[in-house]
Amino acid sequence: MNYNWNWGIFFEASPEGTGTYLGMLLSGLRWTIVTALCAWVIALVFGSLVGVMRTLPSRSANWFASVYVEFFRNIPLIVQLFLWYFVLPELLPRAAGLWLKQLPNAAFWTAFIGIGFYMSARVAEQVRSGIGALPRGQAMAGKALGLTTAQTYRYVLLPMAFRIILPPLTSEFLNTIKNTSVALTIGLLELTARARSMQEFSFQVFEAFTAATLLYLLVNAVVVTGMRFLERKVAVPGYVAMK
Amino acid sequence: MFTDFDFSVIFSNLPYLFFDGMRFTLMLTALATVGGVVLGTLIALMRLSGIPGVSHFAAGYTNLMRSLPFVLVIFWFYFLLPYVGQWVIGASRPIAVGAFMSALVTFTLFEAAYFSEIMRAGIQSIPRGQVSAGYALGLRYWQVMSYVILPQAFRNMLQVLLTQTIILFQDTSLVYVLSITDFLGAASKIAQRDGRLVEMYLFAAVVYFAISFALSQIVRQLQARTAIVR
Amino acid sequence: MDRMIDIQSISKWYGPVQALKSCTTHVAKGDVVVVCGPSGCGKSTLIKCVNALEPIQSGDIVLDGVSLTAPKTDLPKLRSRVGMVFQHFELFPHLRVLDNLMLAQEKVLGRPRAAAEAKAVQLLERVGLIAHKDKHPGQLSGGQQQRVAIARALAMDPIVMLFDEPTSALDPEMVSEVLDVMVALASEGMTMMVVTHEMGFARKVADRVIFMEAGEIVEDADKEEFFGKPRSPRAQQFLSKILQH
Repeated sequence: MNYNWNWGIFFEASPEGTGTYLGMLLSGLRWTIVTALCAWVIALVFGSLVGVMRTLPSRSANWFASVYVEFFRNIPLIVQLFLWYFVLPELLPRAAGLWLKQLPNAAFWTAFIGIGFYMSARVAEQVRSGIGALPRGQAMAGKALGLTTAQTYRYVLLPMAFRIILPPLTSEFLNTIKNTSVALTIGLLELTARARSMQEFSFQVFEAFTAATLLYLLVNAVVVTGMRFLERKVAVPGYVAMK
Repeated sequence: MFTDFDFSVIFSNLPYLFFDGMRFTLMLTALATVGGVVLGTLIALMRLSGIPGVSHFAAGYTNLMRSLPFVLVIFWFYFLLPYVGQWVIGASRPIAVGAFMSALVTFTLFEAAYFSEIMRAGIQSIPRGQVSAGYALGLRYWQVMSYVILPQAFRNMLQVLLTQTIILFQDTSLVYVLSITDFLGAASKIAQRDGRLVEMYLFAAVVYFAISFALSQIVRQLQARTAIVR
Repeated sequence: MDRMIDIQSISKWYGPVQALKSCTTHVAKGDVVVVCGPSGCGKSTLIKCVNALEPIQSGDIVLDGVSLTAPKTDLPKLRSRVGMVFQHFELFPHLRVLDNLMLAQEKVLGRPRAAAEAKAVQLLERVGLIAHKDKHPGQLSGGQQQRVAIARALAMDPIVMLFDEPTSALDPEMVSEVLDVMVALASEGMTMMVVTHEMGFARKVADRVIFMEAGEIVEDADKEEFFGKPRSPRAQQFLSKILQH
């Protein structure tokens, strides 16, 4: 095989002058994690709202939520990021558009908002199915006690629904982390982007991508372990989880 | 708001967009789906086989593919395939693998991991008695799988398999990172050449939406018709 | 070979649990042997070992002169000569009734399509279900499905038929239509081993009755002896309870 292996490449200085190649990758990892976490916040907040709207008795709420979900689900993520990054500034009034284009870390803001809304549609579907998995009588019991709809959701339905959907939500969070890599197309310097840069500068293709792979697997393992811990912590004694 | 925009750029480039771009996208989707489902079914069978080395390999492969970002996997295969080809053919230098071939191999192998999880769930949902009945009649493993279990598993998971295909269709847009001319790539090239980013990207979004939405509606209709009565 | 099935001191474990403890019995050619006992006694396990659907850890079963545990034995081939009827019918739901009967004939016995179809039609007529040949199992009642299942097993021209609680999953009204088929089969001289709770059937048709408990064969006697004066107190207890209805 005509390839020069050099596993020491990680400790050599990167041509960017900011440190070693390893440092470059780690900074990419940092952007990956921060973007994923910020996106996840958006996904949870908006996803829960929309998911609840899908289960409300109001027809207009249902309709809005359906449209919302279908919109974000049927357009590829990369296209959505392009819409946020290239198209939105052009559609806004001149001054606002200009401000957006000159924002430092524009790629970061676009990335986490874009990924956040993309994932919120999937979270919405999970929340909807979680609420749907609860016995009909739960909402009725809440109502019978005199709770308002908002209170019923807040104190009766959502606490159980979220526990039920914790495993699929974990998958969605892992998807969020993976999706940060798509943002390299709009210039976010996350882990995959940095691995690509490392490959372009040093020609050590396999070392670069192996490191990125291992880092992603590490993040995965940490998240899965953390979630397992969380699941155990919030588990309701005596309740047989939906299988 | 829309006065500065010139949407005629879309219409003057329709042939390129659809005959070059969309054709690539659809061909990649179709071929990767077929390859992915076949390979995925094999992997699922390997995982359920109970043979230690085989099932561990299948599980490891599936978990690895599902843990990594697709973009990273695309880069991996793009750089790896020339060396693999060199090793397979015994050439003296890494061989040049075309863009379409690289994308096809990548998509097939990546999506196979997802299809295998779907097929695994499908196979496991068939009552064990069906397997017993097959064996009791004297059928062998491959016969039981081919004639009794897999036909039922496919029918049970058809909706999920088709949904995964729609996801695959959307994922093809990621070949952008290799500057391959799929539908998005074509739209992007025109956008940059003519300076018409807004028009082209909005158009691309609309087209992807229309196709994905239409397909998902068809899948929903299909469910009612193919359910097996037990 | 007077003995069609010869079960020689077999033991079987499911993990740490011993399901069968040194069971020895036999079924002679043309005999109908009924196996009964309380839930969990191992009767279903026993019958599933006879056609090697479940492996045994010690002992041997000899079927028409062929040992199940011998390394050179072609088990699928052996199974094609043994008919089995399951508690939950286990028809293949995605195939028509006719195809259910034809599948193994074509793929295992290598019969040409026309011959397989002719055989299938003949058997469906015999169990009274020829009108349903193009339907799917899901469109039939439980009793009808079980009769088709019997026909499916008979299509392979088996030398012995095994029944694992064939009527336990049926509504009471449908039990007799299935038992009638089984009685007819017995009267034609088929060697049968039947796990069942239907003591009326046993009384009518069985040559011998085996009573099991906790993985052991507690009583193994001719019909008259079993129903008249069983030797073991446990069997006596079982009979008195079950014959109250």
